[in-house]
Amino acid sequence: MREVIIIGVLAVVAIIRVSMRMRKRRQQADQAAMVAGEEAGSADQATMSPASTGPVATTTSSHRAANFGARFGDVGIIAMREITERVRGRIFRVGTVIILLAVGLAIIIPNLNHRSGGSGVTTQEVGIVGSLSPEFQKVVVEAGTADKDDVHFETESSLNQAKHNLRDNSLAFAIVNGDALLLNEPASDSSSPADPTLVQNVAEYFGLLRSYHSAGLTPAQIRSVTNAQSIPVNLLSQGQKKKVNATSVVGMIMLFVLLTQYCTWILIGVMQEKSSRVVEVLLAAVRPIQLLGGKVLGIGLVALSQAVVVVGFALLVAKGVGSDILKGSEPTALLAELVWFVLGYAFYCWVYAAAGSMAERQDQVQTLAFPLSIPILIGYIFSITVVSSGNASLLFKVLAYLPPTAPFAMSTLVAINQVAWWQFLASVLITLAATAGVAVFAARIYSRAVLRTGGRVHLKQLRNS
Amino acid sequence: MGAVLELRGLSRRYGDIVALDDLSLKVPSGQVTGFLGPNGAGKTTTMRAIFGLTDLDGGSVHWNGKPVDQKTRRRFGYMPEERGLYPGMHVGEQIEYFGRLHGMSSHDAAKSTGQWLERLEIANRWNDKVEVLSHGNQQRVQLAAALVHQPELIILDEPLSGLDPVGIDAIGKVLVDQAHAGCCVIFSSHQLDQVEELCEQVIIVDHGHLVVTGTVDELATSGPRRLVVRVEGDRDGAWARSLSGVTVSEKRGSEIRLVLDDDTDSDLVLTAAMAAGKVTEFSFGRRRLSEVFRESLA
Repeated sequence: MREVIIIGVLAVVAIIRVSMRMRKRRQQADQAAMVAGEEAGSADQATMSPASTGPVATTTSSHRAANFGARFGDVGIIAMREITERVRGRIFRVGTVIILLAVGLAIIIPNLNHRSGGSGVTTQEVGIVGSLSPEFQKVVVEAGTADKDDVHFETESSLNQAKHNLRDNSLAFAIVNGDALLLNEPASDSSSPADPTLVQNVAEYFGLLRSYHSAGLTPAQIRSVTNAQSIPVNLLSQGQKKKVNATSVVGMIMLFVLLTQYCTWILIGVMQEKSSRVVEVLLAAVRPIQLLGGKVLGIGLVALSQAVVVVGFALLVAKGVGSDILKGSEPTALLAELVWFVLGYAFYCWVYAAAGSMAERQDQVQTLAFPLSIPILIGYIFSITVVSSGNASLLFKVLAYLPPTAPFAMSTLVAINQVAWWQFLASVLITLAATAGVAVFAARIYSRAVLRTGGRVHLKQLRNS
Repeated sequence: MGAVLELRGLSRRYGDIVALDDLSLKVPSGQVTGFLGPNGAGKTTTMRAIFGLTDLDGGSVHWNGKPVDQKTRRRFGYMPEERGLYPGMHVGEQIEYFGRLHGMSSHDAAKSTGQWLERLEIANRWNDKVEVLSHGNQQRVQLAAALVHQPELIILDEPLSGLDPVGIDAIGKVLVDQAHAGCCVIFSSHQLDQVEELCEQVIIVDHGHLVVTGTVDELATSGPRRLVVRVEGDRDGAWARSLSGVTVSEKRGSEIRLVLDDDTDSDLVLTAAMAAGKVTEFSFGRRRLSEVFRESLA
């Protein structure tokens, strides 16, 4: 498994290197095209009017993107610029790699679970101190097979020899005289080579066998007893408690990280356009709502793409390592988190854009961003707690219908299976309606604030303007 | 006659500050017009009002007799006083982008961008980020962004500030060429010598209203007689200040410019100058734009 991780990291690094090299080559090709164009156009340069003739310098990929954006009018052109610039940025590339690595590790590490072999089968070196009857050895092997462990026995010359081998991890555990198990450290520790399930099962089976022998059962009777199967346990209703849902916790963290990251991009992007005065040139050509819409759409598409890549990558890795996140209701929880990421972004992006239009400097951005992040933090912290406990309080269920906290709370209710489809739909509709209202309000603030210079703008000033 | 920009009674207040006070003026196409005034006179507010970048308390902007709307503004070009560019975006892509936002196709925007970058002698900076360029080259990129879509009206707020003489000549020539091609070119500047050299018409505003407007020739030949006198070794022009009917207009080194009252005899001035030292220049001169500016605002 370590090899898989190393290969994965190397592959990501290789992809980055190749993409950077291709980008450099494209730039060199563009430069070459420019030089060629200059040479071709130099003959008539003296009489050239910029409107009539001259060299044509084109960047094919950017033109394709521009043409694609043009189909959606000015908003599309603005959105395409945002997409191109964001995806080109080092922050996005490095950030994506880090997120993918984090997600990959979050899925792979729980599945490593002390395994050292391939194909999901773990090798367990078991030392035998003293004697161990074939019957007991068979029990250990069968217990190992049931736990996907390939058991190898090693006969130890002495107890000290066994201790030595246990300390240097060449033995998973040792069976001492058939009546005790010896481990270097608790099997549950991550550094222990022993499979804790196998250790526990072997200990229980040996105890049972000793009891059966003591009770005077024949080998046939023992086999009959040990092959006994549990009767089915049927439930009239689902239990109130559920074990910690690791997938949902990771999903919730990703939801928080991505939502915060992309909304902050909008905040800073709007502020930078304002502080660099480029907004004046832009608004001389397009309406404020077009500029804002293009920015929100462009960054939103980048965000959605990254989220889809992360989820897709998570599912691929999960399938590769046989993770639990593909089992039960967890894919539904992942899908719900993706849906709520889109809805959460749609709701918050307008608010952050309006805030960005009121700032002119980086320190003002931080001041404005903090109050906006409070509902996100509340939703996130509550949700992490509820996902871990599996119990949703009435307050938490109310939060699932409030647009600022719904992205986290409703995703959590889906993850712990405590919401009906119509409740989910109701929350979606409430959030969509609120988003429309917030967008109209934010667009008004943006239009009034983005051209005001000379310090941070306050809402009171806008009301009076 | 070409298109005309007309401002009708523009008014704008910021609290107690009057930025525009019933400002009305007309600017014809086909010439370069200097838009002058002291700091805080309302020049930038006027320019922003033309592009709808500031709300007006009153008045309207007309182009070719029709009120200016968003569609019309897409045929205008604007170069703000402070840099209006994305610092981290590549030069070529940035100019193309502005062309696209003014309604050009991707191909036309790229073609025009290449032509303007070549014309402004920065074609080799296509793939450079704006932030790595010198001030002068950033100014050229800003100009290219304002011109890429072949606007009918170009408004430039302090396009010459911070430029070296070579940069001023390059940008100045572009503006004159655009005007001769039928464009309406308006720019503000505090470099009055350059304005005098480039512009055919001048508008001077102060406290948000029009003070003076006319061609450079009209303004230069209007007003009282002016003498240009150079006395060797004279550094302060004290000899002229004591003469009655004579006002010192400007002093640059040993050159002094004097405004004569109608009944003042220039021979008396020459006599006084010769008494002060060796006279190396004594001639009647045109009114400089800087003198027009100062006298208009006095």
